Amino acid sequence: MKSIRFLLIVSFAASIVVFGGCASSPSDQELQQLDQLKKDVAGLEGQVKDKTAAKANLDKQNNEKSAKLTQCRSDQDAVKKSLGK
Amino acid sequence: MKAQKLFSLMFLVSILLLANTVALFAQQMSKEQWQDEMKTYTAKRTDLQSQLTKLDADIKDLQAQSDKLDADLQSCQQELYALLGGITPEQLNAFINELSTMEKRVSELQGMSDDELLKNRDEVMRIDGRLKEMAQNKIAMIPDVGNRIRVLQDKVAGLIKTLTVSKEKTYTVGTWSRNHDCLWNIAKKKDIYDNAWLWPKIWQGNRDKIRDPDLIKPKWVLRIPEGNELTKQEKSAAHSYYRKKASAPAAGGSGN
Repeated sequence: MKSIRFLLIVSFAASIVVFGGCASSPSDQELQQLDQLKKDVAGLEGQVKDKTAAKANLDKQNNEKSAKLTQCRSDQDAVKKSLGK
Repeated sequence: MKAQKLFSLMFLVSILLLANTVALFAQQMSKEQWQDEMKTYTAKRTDLQSQLTKLDADIKDLQAQSDKLDADLQSCQQELYALLGGITPEQLNAFINELSTMEKRVSELQGMSDDELLKNRDEVMRIDGRLKEMAQNKIAMIPDVGNRIRVLQDKVAGLIKTLTVSKEKTYTVGTWSRNHDCLWNIAKKKDIYDNAWLWPKIWQGNRDKIRDPDLIKPKWVLRIPEGNELTKQEKSAAHSYYRKKASAPAAGGSGN
């Protein structure tokens, strides 16, 4: 009977200690800070994605324009040659 | 007894507290976890901000390149138009569009049978003439345009060759008194079919002129379709003619 009592007292004391000790979790403000940080990261990821696409599009357009310019210069040379200039 | 109740209550409370602690553990992050996540996301944010800065700079460079290319291209095209006798972009587009239309039509003409092509002979000759004019235009000095004209001229030359080869023979009808010309006799001639039974070919090939195969007129120029046997349609026309001919005396007799 004594040992049961002892066990009960120990378990009560232990639960008080465990409950008290493990209550060290981040505060609401800290959690909000983390949430805000996650939102910032998600927003930045979206911006990076959009700008990467815009860059690829500009790159493609410039390649096309460059090819047109090369063609135009080649045509110019051929016409000049035909005209004997 | 009282002590036993008290102990039972303490036991219950301790169990509940333990259960609550375990539940809290499961739901909430620890301070350490929070710190780890803060560290990870802060690093991510810094990295993304740096990527954005680089992307902005790249886009600015590309935009500048794009503006320069636009200006260079415009200047090059203006110089080219001036070399081509001061043509406008609209004139160049109209010329190229006409060429594209001709390419499409020539492709259709190439897919036609010789008979169909013969019917479109005038168009083929018109396209040939127009291509000769286009080849003389300064715009044809642009290599791509000049090549397209030359390729098209080759194709049209092929069509003209086909027209020349497949040009049908004709026969000008003489008088009965002098030439004894009827479809039967014409078909029998050595330089026509050398086979009198092929006369329905001449009839069917000249339906625009010959309504009654027994009646052809001097000076008619008859087409002599190619072939050494009757088509299904020609056979059918011949049978119809023979049936009509066979029933004609009886009809005439009953009328008298």
